[in-house]
Amino acid sequence: MRIKFKYFLSIVIVFIMQLTFAQESRFSGKVTDRSGLPIPGANIIVKGSNITTQTDLDGNFTVNTKKGQILIVSFVGMKTLEIAASAGMSVKLEDNSNQLDTVFVVGYGTQSKKKLTDNIARVTAKDMENVPVANFQNAMVGKLAGVQITQINGKVEGGVKMRVRGVSSISSSQEPLYVIDGMPLINDNESGSSAPINPLISLNPNDIESVEILKDASSAAIYGARGTNGVVLITTKQGKSGNTKIAINTSAGWSEATHKMKWLNAAQYIELYTEASANRYGANDLWLTEPGGVFDGYSNGKDWRTGQVDTDWQDLALIKGSVQDHTFSISGGDSKTVFFLSGAYNKTEGIVRGNSMDRYSYRGNLDHKVSDKLRVGLNTSLSKTKIIRIGSDNSFTTPLQAVAQTPLAPAYLDDGVTPNNKTTLYYNFLMQQYNGSWDANIFRTLMNSYAEYKIIPELSFRTELGYDNNNQTEEYFAGSLTESASTNGYADANAIQSDKYSINNYFNYNKTFKEDYKLDLVVGMSFEESSRKRQYVAGTGFASDDLQTVESAAEITAGSSSRTKYNFLSYFGRATFSILDKYLIKGSLRYDGSSRFGAANRYGVFPAASVGWIMSQEDFLKDSNFINLLKLRGSFGVTGNAGIGNFASLGLFNGSSYNKQSAINPYQLVNQDLKWEKTNQVDAGLDFAFLNNRISGEIDYYVKKTNDLLLNEPLPGTSGWSSLTRNVGSLTNKGFEFVLNTTNIKTDKLTWKSSLNLATLDNKVTNLPGGDIVSGQNIVRVGETISSFYLVEYAGVDPANGDALFYKNTLNNDGSLDKSTTKNYSDAQRVISGNPYPTLMTGLTNTVLFNNFDFSFTFQGEWGASMYNEAGKFQSSNARYKDNQTTDQMNRWQKPGDITNVPQARWGRSNGDQASTRYLEKTDFVRLRNLSFGYTLPKTMIQKLGVDRIRLYMTGVNLLTFTNYKGYDPESSYDNNGDSNIQKGIAFYSAPSAKTIIIGLNIDL
Amino acid sequence: MKKDNYKIILVAFLVLTLVGCDDNLTISPEQAITTDMAIKTPSNIQKILNNAYGDARSSALYGGGIALASELLANDGDLYWDGTYVQPSQYDEKAILTDNSFVESMWLRAYKISNQTNVVLDNLAVFTNAADKDVAKGEAKFLRGLVYFDLVRLFGKPYVAGTANNQLGVPIILEPILDPAKITYPSRNTVDEVYKQVLADLKDAYTLLPATNGVYATKYSVAALLARVYLQQGDYVNARNMANIVITDSGSVLANSYSKVFNNSENSTEDLFAWQVSSQDASSNDYNVFWAGSDFGGRSGNPDISIENQHWDIYDDSNDQRSKFFYEADNWCTTKWKNQYGNIPFLRLAEMHLIRAESNFREGTSIGLSPLDDINLLRERATASLFNSVDLATILMERKRELSFEGFALFDAKRLKQNIGSLAYNANNLVLPIPLRERDVNKNLVQNDGY
Repeated sequence: MRIKFKYFLSIVIVFIMQLTFAQESRFSGKVTDRSGLPIPGANIIVKGSNITTQTDLDGNFTVNTKKGQILIVSFVGMKTLEIAASAGMSVKLEDNSNQLDTVFVVGYGTQSKKKLTDNIARVTAKDMENVPVANFQNAMVGKLAGVQITQINGKVEGGVKMRVRGVSSISSSQEPLYVIDGMPLINDNESGSSAPINPLISLNPNDIESVEILKDASSAAIYGARGTNGVVLITTKQGKSGNTKIAINTSAGWSEATHKMKWLNAAQYIELYTEASANRYGANDLWLTEPGGVFDGYSNGKDWRTGQVDTDWQDLALIKGSVQDHTFSISGGDSKTVFFLSGAYNKTEGIVRGNSMDRYSYRGNLDHKVSDKLRVGLNTSLSKTKIIRIGSDNSFTTPLQAVAQTPLAPAYLDDGVTPNNKTTLYYNFLMQQYNGSWDANIFRTLMNSYAEYKIIPELSFRTELGYDNNNQTEEYFAGSLTESASTNGYADANAIQSDKYSINNYFNYNKTFKEDYKLDLVVGMSFEESSRKRQYVAGTGFASDDLQTVESAAEITAGSSSRTKYNFLSYFGRATFSILDKYLIKGSLRYDGSSRFGAANRYGVFPAASVGWIMSQEDFLKDSNFINLLKLRGSFGVTGNAGIGNFASLGLFNGSSYNKQSAINPYQLVNQDLKWEKTNQVDAGLDFAFLNNRISGEIDYYVKKTNDLLLNEPLPGTSGWSSLTRNVGSLTNKGFEFVLNTTNIKTDKLTWKSSLNLATLDNKVTNLPGGDIVSGQNIVRVGETISSFYLVEYAGVDPANGDALFYKNTLNNDGSLDKSTTKNYSDAQRVISGNPYPTLMTGLTNTVLFNNFDFSFTFQGEWGASMYNEAGKFQSSNARYKDNQTTDQMNRWQKPGDITNVPQARWGRSNGDQASTRYLEKTDFVRLRNLSFGYTLPKTMIQKLGVDRIRLYMTGVNLLTFTNYKGYDPESSYDNNGDSNIQKGIAFYSAPSAKTIIIGLNIDL
Repeated sequence: MKKDNYKIILVAFLVLTLVGCDDNLTISPEQAITTDMAIKTPSNIQKILNNAYGDARSSALYGGGIALASELLANDGDLYWDGTYVQPSQYDEKAILTDNSFVESMWLRAYKISNQTNVVLDNLAVFTNAADKDVAKGEAKFLRGLVYFDLVRLFGKPYVAGTANNQLGVPIILEPILDPAKITYPSRNTVDEVYKQVLADLKDAYTLLPATNGVYATKYSVAALLARVYLQQGDYVNARNMANIVITDSGSVLANSYSKVFNNSENSTEDLFAWQVSSQDASSNDYNVFWAGSDFGGRSGNPDISIENQHWDIYDDSNDQRSKFFYEADNWCTTKWKNQYGNIPFLRLAEMHLIRAESNFREGTSIGLSPLDDINLLRERATASLFNSVDLATILMERKRELSFEGFALFDAKRLKQNIGSLAYNANNLVLPIPLRERDVNKNLVQNDGY
């Protein structure tokens, strides 16, 4: 009560003072940019009052105040200026392009770029706007040094992998922690199939103001146990005081596959398979070609002999897609309250037949100053995402597996509508869409409220309450003509409710001592609880294909429900100290407890410290015209990784059944010693800016050593168990990161800026007490990159007989490898033959502004990685099975003396189709990731319409790809082992990325 | 003014500490129970045992996996593999790779059963009712004996009667492992050692188990399995005696028509032991998946394993129901595995008649019935013309007519030292490889020859 009274009192006093002392008069002025051009729409606020005004189209304004009163002048993209009121003021606003003044969000607070002793990468709305991708992660590709962002494959809802400074864990999570407006986000894939759904697909990228990625330990350690994989801080847009602004963005466009592979046509198929059969059974055995033979069977009445049938299955699977995005936002406010409201609709029709997404989203952000001391706010967002899904890469129903079908089988029956499922080699995926459905609906609610109270000017207290709800239902139906024909149809429904609430409470103390010593202290706690519920039911036997929900099932064949929970309790503190604005010291400490770990190891301590020296503030550089900034940074810190199962330390039996009687199944071996995986990271960096800030950048070198790796260590099967989560082993990521921003040309009419980032990555497993871990074609071995490929080495074809050959690679007595060849696969040893992670990544963005035109593009490149085509054994296997083959199989060995890499075609017999380096390829690529071209209508033209801005633009994604990789796409990988951390870099009928072009329109009112 | 500030600080501090209560960090799983609880009560021990049955019935082992390996490895033209899975295709080609995932899951699943039975045997002390205890002990020993018998038949060179049989078998693990500290890295025991262990377990089980036990293992299930083990060892006297005990004492009778033996949702009158299948777990019935037409739940090969002309030659009478126990999809399918939800007969009385007939014949005895009468019983049931006399070849041919596609092919070929195509019965590639993943983890395991 007394607080309120005081507040009331102060208002009264201010009011009386104004009445008594103010000698009000009208002051006018003009706001221009550096080159003297007027700035219309700039905001002018009389400091300490709620008097605001805006400049007119010529940049002029008038304001009622008293002389000498401070005015705050601001405009988007310009530095805010304070000026004393006087007659005929001329206000020149500077571009805000000087990044040094940028304020970075750092987790429980903010920090100016200049005083940062951390390595934080940042993208802003400007860098991401209008990129026609459905999720915000994809909009950042190529723009962040040392951050690899890859969408698993070309499915619209496909999972996204983000790797910050390499891979720091073998068996636990490799994903960063995502935090939106201070609240950790639910980021669990809830897909009902093994193909992941990106959990953040429900966020509207256009609502994001900035994304900061905490890369080094000094910055990430404030998130302690979850900092190892980096922290992604998302800040949503907020209104600015001044006139209410309406922004409309609408765009639409088309997409197609970045790349298609080449498959045999009917004539080639007939030739190759006839030959393969002759090689096995002799040329007189006509089982394929005789009347009523296999080929007749495929062609379903069509005459393949006269070329009546030649189905291009790939063209049926990969189609033209489309995208539409419409966003509407209103923002504004006065000196006390600001708000941002937005609504958006996105519709993406995928490039893979039958895959699409519709997303409706809403956001409302509100911030209100109750008094000079108290500020409150509420950010909310709601979205509904509907996804029409297709099968995982390892299912016959997934469209891309249709490339395995023989071109001799017609896709449709004679009616041209009903898919032909009678004579195809495999199940015809078209039937799934003709006679089935698979929808996922995701409802996501995000809420973050806060109150901040200034106890004394130096000390404030902030409390935040966050809530995140991810509600997903998937419904699947396969009718009487599909794979589920034998049971007269099948349907299931899978519902998941995940929610998370988090509470943050912290104090911030900010004090300057004797002008030169500045201290910033943060102390607080946070608590977070996440729970998840799932209900699932499946049934078979449907009276009609029109009755598609489980209610109509004759028999319920499966059902389940489950609940689980975990939580974190943390205390944290951070002190930042600067002396003379040159010497910077920071230290932080986080104490984390989680229910996921055994009682003995429940808590972990995560300290970090960093120092900085702004050399350019020293006397010997201070007056340099050449050097604007030179800052040396160094940091050390400890972060953790808690990304394991909720109860991984317990020995557990779960429920099961046999003979319709309950049973308990041993499913997890106890390990009470389980503890956090800890990463020690050292980072040394240099920030620089030269030539009036026209050249600026960062150079960093880091070493990130992870110990006590949480590892699902394979156990001897003879123990009755196949793996155990243990803290064993260590690995190191080292890298060099380089960022260079330049303003190449800056004149009144023409601006050209470039931004280059480059990162190297050297990942090595340094200790693995249990020895090699092999999973599929990947190995974890000391001294090698994690998940290196471990394969038999293919040696080509014996010219004498067409046999596939392999290098033996057995150890000679002198320790060298025996490079002689063998046709007997079992005699060849596996060797390390590549790694799935790039060792060099780069991105280059150029932006050119010329008069009313704007043009920008981003190139992205990755080198050093390889991809293993798990489907090679079917796709390029010398006609062993009946699967259609890649056209390179036509180069097969045919007669003695033939020199080729493709072995003799042998029906039903292995000849080189075993797992080997034959199916391993380098994926080095450079791709034109974004290209955008815009034209803003001249102000003179739109004045009459009462519109602030109209911009027309065209944007493309993935327009060009330069690579020698022959598979679908160097970035597309198998989505069926999304959770296996060891099996990496595997492709298996994985859809390529989309190449998209849109045209759009921005209107600001 | 100052007072207020302290109040706020105090309130904030309270908020900080109140929420930060350590109790919140203790959360128990809701879908699982801890190991301590799992082995604490008799009812839980029985549930572990029931789970071991379920694991045995899984597609990796007795739900089709073992039979698939046996029938395809022994295939010399009776069957045609038309499926798309690589793993069975390698069996058919007799060119198995060490990373064959079917082989791997066979190994892992079998040892998981071994461990569960060891857990049961190690915790029998919790039983207060002696009869319940005996049943649990007997069933555990039955299951353990069963999986080691099949492991050694699959992963070791054939048992040859009258030799030392010190060729490599599989590791024998008799200690339960519920604590990581107890994990061992064993070497392979010899084939002889494994058979001795199998016999020891089964003999114990025979004395422990009752004559009736629902659909679970009974005294006579064990006796039937013992007969099968002795036969595999060429110990015809014991094989005959065990088969005779089953036929005379079990109370089981041959089903009155061949079609009533298969595709049943309840055990038939001649089942001494059958794996239970219901609509809840039909998807893991690999007999159906690979042998049935796609209209009946089989895969797209329709069927993946079709029956070829060569097979028809074994039938000598067109009235024989068994010669007509086929149906046509894209190609010919056996009717034995047509019902997705049908139980899987595993030890049935017909096999006991065949074992008794063969053993009596070899020993020159007529314990129970003469070989001729035993064979004619089966022929009569199948409405085939009766024989006037039998010799070893006709007995073995009758065995084939009766038991085709049930997983006997490879093991019979090895027992009878018959070639498979041009491959000798003891060829390297008729033995499964020790799975690659297993040797990657346990360096003490020696690989089989030829891999």
